[in-house]
Amino acid sequence: MADLNDGGGEFPRSRARFVALSVIAVLIFGALAGRLFQLQVLDGARYAARAVAIRTLEVALKSPRGLVFDREGRLLAANTPAWTLEATLADLPEDPSARAWVLFRASRVVGVDVSVLSERLQAFKGSPYELVPLLHGLSREAALMIGEMGDQLPGVTVVVEAVREYFDENGAVDGTLLSHLVGYTGRVDAAELADLAARGYLPDDVIGRDGVESSMESVLRGTYGRQLLERDASGRTVKVVKTLAEPIPGKNLMLTIDARMQRVATDSLLWGMQASGVKQGVTVVMNPQSGEILSMVSLPAYDNNKFAAGISRGEFAAYLADPGRPLRNHAISDIYPPGSTFKLVTGLAALEEGVTTTTQRWPTYGCYQIPDAPQGQCLYDWNHRGFGPLNLVEAFARSSDTFFYQMAIKLGLDRFGRWAQELGFGERTGINLPGEAKGIVISREWAQAQGRPDVFTGELAQAGIGQNVIAVTPLQLLNAYAALANGGKLLRPTVVRGEADDTGALVQPYTAEPIRILSASAADLQAIRIGAREVITTGHAYNIRDLRLPGALSGKTGTAEFGSAPSGDALPFHSWFVAWLPSAPGATDAQLEVLTFTYSAVARGNVSLEVVKYFLQQWYGLHQDLRLDPTDLSRVAAN
Amino acid sequence: MSTATATFVENIRGRIWRSFDRQLFLYVVLLIAFGLVLGYSANYGVSGTPGTLSQTVKTVIWTAIGITGFFVAASIDYHWLSTFTGPIYLAVLGLLALTMLIGTRLFGAQMSISVAGLDFQSSEIAKVLMIVVLASYLHRRRERIGRLSTIVGAGLVMVIPTFLVYRQPDLGTALVFVAMLVGMLFLSGASIGWMALFGGAAVALAPLAIGAMHAYQRQRLFCFLDPNADPQGACYQLLQALNAVGSGGLFGQGLTAGRQNQLGYLPVQSTDFIFTVAAEELGFVGCAILLGLFALLTWRIVSIAWHARDSFGMLIAVGLASMILFQVLVNVGMVTGIMPVTGIPLPFVTYGGSSLVSLLFGMGILESVRMHTEKPTF
Repeated sequence: MADLNDGGGEFPRSRARFVALSVIAVLIFGALAGRLFQLQVLDGARYAARAVAIRTLEVALKSPRGLVFDREGRLLAANTPAWTLEATLADLPEDPSARAWVLFRASRVVGVDVSVLSERLQAFKGSPYELVPLLHGLSREAALMIGEMGDQLPGVTVVVEAVREYFDENGAVDGTLLSHLVGYTGRVDAAELADLAARGYLPDDVIGRDGVESSMESVLRGTYGRQLLERDASGRTVKVVKTLAEPIPGKNLMLTIDARMQRVATDSLLWGMQASGVKQGVTVVMNPQSGEILSMVSLPAYDNNKFAAGISRGEFAAYLADPGRPLRNHAISDIYPPGSTFKLVTGLAALEEGVTTTTQRWPTYGCYQIPDAPQGQCLYDWNHRGFGPLNLVEAFARSSDTFFYQMAIKLGLDRFGRWAQELGFGERTGINLPGEAKGIVISREWAQAQGRPDVFTGELAQAGIGQNVIAVTPLQLLNAYAALANGGKLLRPTVVRGEADDTGALVQPYTAEPIRILSASAADLQAIRIGAREVITTGHAYNIRDLRLPGALSGKTGTAEFGSAPSGDALPFHSWFVAWLPSAPGATDAQLEVLTFTYSAVARGNVSLEVVKYFLQQWYGLHQDLRLDPTDLSRVAAN
Repeated sequence: MSTATATFVENIRGRIWRSFDRQLFLYVVLLIAFGLVLGYSANYGVSGTPGTLSQTVKTVIWTAIGITGFFVAASIDYHWLSTFTGPIYLAVLGLLALTMLIGTRLFGAQMSISVAGLDFQSSEIAKVLMIVVLASYLHRRRERIGRLSTIVGAGLVMVIPTFLVYRQPDLGTALVFVAMLVGMLFLSGASIGWMALFGGAAVALAPLAIGAMHAYQRQRLFCFLDPNADPQGACYQLLQALNAVGSGGLFGQGLTAGRQNQLGYLPVQSTDFIFTVAAEELGFVGCAILLGLFALLTWRIVSIAWHARDSFGMLIAVGLASMILFQVLVNVGMVTGIMPVTGIPLPFVTYGGSSLVSLLFGMGILESVRMHTEKPTF
């Protein structure tokens, strides 16, 4: 070939082709070095960042949940260790039968069917080095036993977690005294997690479910920290790279509740319910100057410790099946006709709107003929004989129905409705507890929803005595009377006093602004307070006047028919009693206001009055027992 | 060196050893040392089964065997090899065929990975031996080197071992065979026109060959065009390798300190990715030194080829240079994402006993070529 020529040896070789080979070699090394320079020096930082992103994982550091104390610094909710059975797929035997044997042995120790564990394990999708929770709430004994069996149960471990435990006024573990107030914590389920994940919740995380555990969740939970972990290619954590944010512990809360008073209120209510065969009842005690709830009892109650530890299906089903609906806080979540207690609204509205004066007398009737209605269509007074002429204070004291029918009709729907709203009915009080109901106040919209242009006059008259189209929560009623008792401030009820330190001392009080100052005149409020005092002294509250209380107890009874009569005669009755204790008749300095509501009494007495009486006797340590048998019709107060 | 020692060495080596290429030997030893250190780092913290030798110890043992082979090969006159290229050729074919038969008959598909390990080693031995065979063939045709029949004949010599290796399947080694063939033909003085024609035909037929590949091979092959196409699947290894290479920066993270390497993100169990360890832990500077050693080695081999006394020696050197150049290009190109992912080891550096021994044997032959460049002086 043409380019063959003499090389260094004894045979012809192509210099050109050697040069070509050398050039190719130089190009190869040049290209590789150039590419490396590009990857490592020019773009190195970008690749390094990507590598870090792949091999590191940000994990949460849980913050301890805040404690809950009562107003006296008694511990009501704390964190205690709980044991969870967990497994690591990578450490379990690979052989299916060996794995099944490990799970079976573990299931025998913890006392569940092996399918419970294997189903949890199979449902898990993630790194084989991650711990999979198989069973929460192990007993201490089972936890210790699993720990001792370590080498016989490869891949199975027990992890200690903090769970909530709830206590009573004496520090004993008791999940029924304050369950509706304190609530409980439960685990976030998969459906909730979709929304909660953005707020830092983790799979299987804990969240408040009821009471302040729910309403004050963000305060109690604190802020989880963040840690950057480095993992190897199989997902096993190798080391902590750094802590990005330390967890901020949840704040401790002090409730406005006095746990000892809660016990007294519970015992009184339990007595009354048992004595009268009532299945549901509520007692709420409030400071009418501040809106602080001192006690809130809703019976029957549930055991929040069962929920915190993980309630069984059977126990949960039993709660759901209970006709007393123990899972609901009847004091705020359920609405009932308020009966005569609602005469506060009708009476105050009549004075404010100039329908009557405090001294103007109105005739009363055994049965009041509804204006515009056919002759004979009348509304009965509970007292079928009538009271004769009464002024408003007297009518309030004696609870004349026909007096307040007239007031409601003279006011008309709009003015009546506006004053119901003014006193907080038909709207939530905004108490810091979950699940509050709004209640119902008669309105034209309500009538129109029934397919009529307006309400019937009879309906308006009945609303004037808290029947028919009026429904309130016990808390709304208590709060409206608090505004009367304190001279016109409609308060924002609260169950949280503020933040506490670990010893239960208040360090950061919370303040709540009143909802509004009532537009009622002081004199009109005073007149009704006098009427409320007369309910006790001259009305039909019977012997409660004889209690030697440190003040001038004032209040109002109420009974409300509802539903239909089981056997065609007497309708079941709700009974109400709300009372407060000012220093003198008509004074606005009461520090304690109590309301009791009992649901569906078939005994035609005011069970609630007897409950409040019993509560006051015990709370003030009176050496008196004026309780009456609520089933004895002859001696109990009516209406 | 004292006179007494010099005389002693001279007596052992003989006068011919005066022209022993010390630089070639030095670069080879440095590359093996590089591989030893990188292999140690790749397995750092990985505790082996008790009672078994670590990879490092094994490499040292293989290096001792290989250097023995190196000096044995260096001390024989390479011309002697050309006298029995026929038996060598048959031995290569037999070796490749036998491993294939044993592989399928004894272990079956279930054991294909360990079988592939064995096959891989037989193909490593085959590479060096086929260089000798092909060099001998082309040397014998040196009078008719420009003819078409040279190219066809050389192609026929290579086609059976290449096919056997390809079917193992070991696409990478098959491609090395092709690279050796092209390099040796080119330097032997074969017709450029015909080579271009065959080359053009090969390029035209490449799509067919790619179509005949296993799907996983094809996927891996094309990852380098777009590594993000399948980041969790076929291209995962490449992406992680690129991250490791880039993480190395200018000076690297330090030996045994490369996080991608130490945490198992690199596919180092397939030691074809050993270069990523150098890149991550020693940085651009370390990579440049490693590539520099290969460049120097290539320079020495090409120089030996240029100075070879006859075309047989020259073609052995050219074959070894082609093989090493091609493997460096594809291996480093692979981990830097400019070459398709094929299982081609980095010469001297990638762990592998038979690879190391046969490479050192090849280097020994090269020394023999070098030492027989000048007429022996008596």
